[in-house]
Amino acid sequence: MSEEKPKATCGKKIDRRDFLQGLAGVPVLGAFALAALKQESYRRSRKAQAVASGAAQGGAADLNVALLGVGAQGDVLLNSMLKIPGLRFRAVCDIWSEYNLRRAANLLKKYGHEVNSYEDYRDMLDKETGLDAVIIATPDFWHAEHTVACLQAGLHVYCEKEMSNTLEGARRMVQAARATGKLLQIGHQRRSNPRYIFTHDVLLRELNLLGRMVTAGGQWNRSAAPDLGWPKKYEIPAGRLRQYGFNSMHQFTNWRWYKNLGGGPIVDLGSHQIDVFSWFLGVNPKSVMASGGTDYYDPATHEWYDTVLAIYEYETPRGTVRAHYKTQTTNGSLGYYEQFMGDQGTLVLSESSQIGAVYREKTRAGSWDEWVRKGYLGEPKIIETRADDTARDSLDVRETISPDEHKIALSFFDPYHKPHLENFFNAVRGHATLNCPAQTGYESAVAVLKVNEAVEAKRTLYFTPEEFHV
Amino acid sequence: MKNIQLSRIQWISLVALRMIIGWHFLYEGVAKLLKGNWSAYGFLMESKWIFADLFRWMAGQPALLEVVNAANIWGLILIGLGLMLGAFTRLAAAGGILLIALYYLCNPPFVGLFYSIPAEGNYIFINKNIVELAALVVLLLIPTQQMAGVDRILAKLLKKSPRNPAS
Ligand SMILES: NC(=O)c1ccc[n+]([C@@H]2O[C@H](COP(=O)([O-])OP(=O)(O)OC[C@H]3O[C@@H](n4cnc5c(N)ncnc54)[C@H](O)[C@@H]3O)[C@@H](O)[C@H]2O)c1
Repeated sequence: MSEEKPKATCGKKIDRRDFLQGLAGVPVLGAFALAALKQESYRRSRKAQAVASGAAQGGAADLNVALLGVGAQGDVLLNSMLKIPGLRFRAVCDIWSEYNLRRAANLLKKYGHEVNSYEDYRDMLDKETGLDAVIIATPDFWHAEHTVACLQAGLHVYCEKEMSNTLEGARRMVQAARATGKLLQIGHQRRSNPRYIFTHDVLLRELNLLGRMVTAGGQWNRSAAPDLGWPKKYEIPAGRLRQYGFNSMHQFTNWRWYKNLGGGPIVDLGSHQIDVFSWFLGVNPKSVMASGGTDYYDPATHEWYDTVLAIYEYETPRGTVRAHYKTQTTNGSLGYYEQFMGDQGTLVLSESSQIGAVYREKTRAGSWDEWVRKGYLGEPKIIETRADDTARDSLDVRETISPDEHKIALSFFDPYHKPHLENFFNAVRGHATLNCPAQTGYESAVAVLKVNEAVEAKRTLYFTPEEFHV
Repeated sequence: MKNIQLSRIQWISLVALRMIIGWHFLYEGVAKLLKGNWSAYGFLMESKWIFADLFRWMAGQPALLEVVNAANIWGLILIGLGLMLGAFTRLAAAGGILLIALYYLCNPPFVGLFYSIPAEGNYIFINKNIVELAALVVLLLIPTQQMAGVDRILAKLLKKSPRNPAS
């Protein structure tokens, strides 16, 4: 039987051998099924563990949470919250009932949360009893109305940045929080990011690593991108769109670019980083000038500026600090980060975890070895001029010695928004104070919204100290 | 050269090769299916070389992308089943060759093309896709399914007189 041809298929009747050899793949398929099942049940049990340690656990101490606005960011927040223990989701509200609302409710169901779905937030506030908190991630121009109504209904509110597209709206939010005594956290999540907190509290305040800060900078570069689309079969009827302040599906998905609805990239992206300027420098800005315009996209559908450069001045207790900020939406290279420079060192920090380092000015700063030993900083990486760099014959005398680079010795791998949400829920439980309460969010909005005004005015605009208070 | 006959162990090794490739296809498909939200988007967007525009265009059409995703998942599963069971084997092998060729053309390992999705090995012109594709060509040409596979039974049922494969 060692020499054989597969000639058993010669039109004869099927015999035992045909049968056995014909089905030779079946046991292999069985083995495959076993392996795939094992893998899948492992995956499921991992997921179930995550759920059990997290959201779906019932219990008296659970907070009852509603979601208002579950688009792109609402989805991000929800996925972060599903990793936070002690939350019970009760209701979801979104005007896009055909799509986003359904997606969020389905996701919650998968995690064991039976939620009621609403299209109109007033309906939700009427019918839902026993809610503790609401997470608002609707477009900016809805924030004030939604937040004020929820606070007045007795709920604690986490509202996404930008606090509002108008200062008048933002003021009403601060006042409502004050009047109701409910908590209002604004979604500048860097304020709760452990890397940012460590940098601010330890490296800047305690160790004063940068010395006398003189300049700051920041940028958010994004690649050119087509306008956001939508699945045609889930289009919202025109009547409902109008009812909620949108005149087309295009405007509904691309609200950020429209005056009266959003604030454009400077407000969308810049607000996070301009907020960090004020936080790290410890003061609100004194003035701002800015240049901007819709240089690349169609101004008919991009009413707000696609490119903005702004310059702020800050009067800190140790002297003036000038800060520049750039946002552009036509090239994503070099990404997004903030940077602070003092006479003893430079800090470069970003929410993106690859970027985070301080650079020691060798000529002025003392030794940082102690901070490396204590684990605050990574070991110095010496940035050398390469000896084999044939392109230049000698080091230019005007160049100074390049600084040592130290990575910030604190990594953070959770979803970016999770600590900020945790801070909010801890505050609701009375175990923490808010990292970005209404007043702080307001000050940040004052600083940011003025950029668009400055672009229009084409001159330096000054802030008065009173402007920052409600 | 004409009358080379394969020994039993040679046939078994070829059948094993077919089943192994089938296993790989099947799990690639099943895993994507179970994941629920898998999409070819990232892979297509990474495309380099002369077909890059075409692949990126596909990624940019939501409706088309959905079709591509489903075709890929179910293609992988059916091809995997076919190869593993030896059912419609030639069709499965041909389908597998086509799919792999598309993966290869989307992101070919040519001189001077760099990908941000890291590969687990080092390749120039030939990568594991091509190895698998070549193995499928062998399996397309050598009818292992008549040695071991559902096709052996099907052939008899359909009473088609088969070609004598090994000569
Ligand atoms: N903190 C961050 O990192 C971050 C990131 C992105 C967006 N955001 C903020 O989150 C908010 C939402 O942004 P997005 O990107 O998710 O926008 P989006 O357009 O994707 O989602 C908005 C959602 O709100 C719904 N909606 C609109 N009007 C509504 C109303 N009146 N009642 C109920 N639902 C309504 C829409 O149907 C949609 O599902 C914005 O304020 C934005 O600035 C914050």
